[in-house]
Amino acid sequence: MRAPRVLAAVLFAMLVSGGSVLAQTPADLFDINTIQEIRLSVNTRDLQTLREKYKDNTYYVADLTWKNIKVRNVGIRSRGQGSRNPTKLGLRVDIAHYTTGQTFVGFSTIILDNMWQDDSMLRERLAFTMFEKVGEPAPRESFCRLYINNEYQGLYAIIEEIDGAFAKRVTGETDGTMFEYRWYIDKQWRAEDLVSIANYKTLLEPRTHVLDADSTLYGPIQSLFKEVNAAADAVWRDRVEQYIDLNQFMKHVALEQFIVENDGLLGYAGMNNFYLYRYQGTTKHRLFVWDKDNAFLFKDNVPGAVTTSDNVLFRRAMTYPDLRETYLSTLEQCANIARTDDFLALEIDRLTAIIYDAAKADPRKQFPNDQFDLAVQFLRDFAAVRPGQVLTDVARIRKTGS
Amino acid sequence: MVPSAALFVMLTRSAEENKDKKAETYPVFRLGDHPSIVFGKGSHLDFRARFSADKSDSEASTEDPAETSTIDLGKKRIGVSGEIANAVEFQIEAELTNTDPWRDVYGDFKYYDVARVRGGKFKVPFSLDENTGASHLDFMFRSLAATHLAPGRDQGVMVHGRVWKKVIGYDAGVFQHDGKNARTNNPAKVFGGQTTAGRVTFEPTRNMKDALGPFLVGVAFTRSDVPEGISGVRGQTVLDQNFFSSADYLVNGTRRRTGIEMQFLPGPASIKSEWMRLETQRRGESVENTDLSPLVGEGWYVSGTMALTGEKKSRVERPKKPLLQGGFGAVEVGARVESLRFKSGSSSEQGSRSPRADTILGNRDQATTVGVNWYVNRFFKVQANFIREKLDDPSQGPLPSKASFTTKAVRFQFSL
Repeated sequence: MRAPRVLAAVLFAMLVSGGSVLAQTPADLFDINTIQEIRLSVNTRDLQTLREKYKDNTYYVADLTWKNIKVRNVGIRSRGQGSRNPTKLGLRVDIAHYTTGQTFVGFSTIILDNMWQDDSMLRERLAFTMFEKVGEPAPRESFCRLYINNEYQGLYAIIEEIDGAFAKRVTGETDGTMFEYRWYIDKQWRAEDLVSIANYKTLLEPRTHVLDADSTLYGPIQSLFKEVNAAADAVWRDRVEQYIDLNQFMKHVALEQFIVENDGLLGYAGMNNFYLYRYQGTTKHRLFVWDKDNAFLFKDNVPGAVTTSDNVLFRRAMTYPDLRETYLSTLEQCANIARTDDFLALEIDRLTAIIYDAAKADPRKQFPNDQFDLAVQFLRDFAAVRPGQVLTDVARIRKTGS
Repeated sequence: MVPSAALFVMLTRSAEENKDKKAETYPVFRLGDHPSIVFGKGSHLDFRARFSADKSDSEASTEDPAETSTIDLGKKRIGVSGEIANAVEFQIEAELTNTDPWRDVYGDFKYYDVARVRGGKFKVPFSLDENTGASHLDFMFRSLAATHLAPGRDQGVMVHGRVWKKVIGYDAGVFQHDGKNARTNNPAKVFGGQTTAGRVTFEPTRNMKDALGPFLVGVAFTRSDVPEGISGVRGQTVLDQNFFSSADYLVNGTRRRTGIEMQFLPGPASIKSEWMRLETQRRGESVENTDLSPLVGEGWYVSGTMALTGEKKSRVERPKKPLLQGGFGAVEVGARVESLRFKSGSSSEQGSRSPRADTILGNRDQATTVGVNWYVNRFFKVQANFIREKLDDPSQGPLPSKASFTTKAVRFQFSL
């Protein structure tokens, strides 16, 4: 008698819950402990045009299927800079592009990162993990097998878009202003004063408040870099801190230094791969991390990156002992997180196990399978070497000043 | 008396006087329905002209958002028509201020009344309203359905005539494309290729002397193939502002139009109504390369007029007592309710702007027009219309936050 009653209770619970036991959540989509499967249906003529014109940002229609969810009429377009290619398409999926208000497990946009430049396909996920471990928010990310018209396209990363919803999740604010940094080969920027609002507008594209006047959007940014480049005096820091959280900035730089990111804030070609966020109702900004496919490329420090940086803001901030200490202690924190219980090495092994079959079977990746194996081994070596090296460097800098 | 008024009194009198002349030496100039040169029995050349100026004042402004009132002086049309040896009719008409000046340019072989043959550029035989001449419209603007769903002019060949004591009329033709109304100036948009069209009308009261008035019902169709691409069919308000942009939707396949029309003219009154549907296939256009539901435009109108000064509807444009000739002209009031809607797929699904959506983001414009026509004399006509429009989805219309809006318009027209 007991079993039927239990069964009836379960069925009743399912009925009154409206079947929500089957509902998927953002946590399910970004569950890094498993590999997701996303299927896109795209008209074959559109797909051909998308591959032919992969440099354009033209949207095409697709139906997206994930688990028991099918979202019709989403917009997809080619995305990326160095990773943009016609073979393994990097895709921005705009859920509401054609249908106002349409969402996918609460998101209006997701990114399908082709991981084209990352031979290990692990770098960005590992980098974001380090950011999260240090308490710096990063976009959520999981791995997926992507199928287009039932043809396997390869291993992709699903990445949370940095937009208003992301800002709300990580700051609790609903009305802040988010800017995406746009890198141009001929406009490499290292925090110099760009003077005019038009120059900042070229480099920083609003992701929220897009209809605001340029003066509202860019006035505080213009002021920030004017103050950053102003003459050194007793109140330089107070003036700059009206416009940016310097402690957060130093943490961000330290994290990128630990993972030897050569295309970040202190990158080889000027600042890159970040979002600038202005807290609501203030003139103060902070940074969010983006695109770490080029992290972990070296086992050693990027030569001269720390103390002789061309980046005006970092170089001047480092002259303040407490900010310098923030930078060094964050490096130490990263090293300790990575080496404690072999966290970084084990994370590499764990993620490798998750993606291994999908990565090996990836028919469109740039690199052959033996390079994937070598890249993973490189990361293991990095995890073994880098923490000790950073701790040694930090101790030396504390002692000698450089 | 102002000079223009004097001119038209003179013209009118001249026409009356011409009627009394019996002896004919050709060629002779006459002023009948139009100024005309008669070369002999059954051969004449008529001169036609139409000039009009509109002033409109709309809550949904037409161009500059700050400017709600516009004056359009752009309607200047001239032409000739005529007959040769009682066997061929012809018409050549052009708009003077237009990049595409030619309107009707055709010849009509009419030797056999039951089977006339027309060739050239003329209106595809679909829709009573669309095939009513611009100077004879009951309201300033054609119905939304006729303007956007009927084909309009194209080049083609048509057989037409009347049979069974002229009770049944028919038109059947083949045209190069599916009319001007389905096209835009954007060359990227697609329209119908070779088009077949047919129309059958039935006038049961034609030979009844005791009938209340002429009564006509008709059906019409067109069929053409549309290549893959973005459709040129538009949904626009009375003042030509988009409320549905087919710019978002791909089509591919057969385009069919179906229409039903009715007209009843009892004495000084008229009642007209039409329903029409334009359906374009979207073969292989889904994301899975399967067929999508066809893109559908559907519209109707019901209109009525009444001549307050007593003229029969068929004669109201020739007032019994023109202004300055012992009368005030003829005055007619009218009203029209109409609807134009675009849709596809299931109404239960959320509509999308996706070019490949089965259920598109449709919209509907419902308009009510009340108007007064003052026929000053047979040449001058003044029309005043008050139009109230309501959109189902105002976000696609000229006033995204306002579903209903009003337009007031007046037209001054001179036609020969």
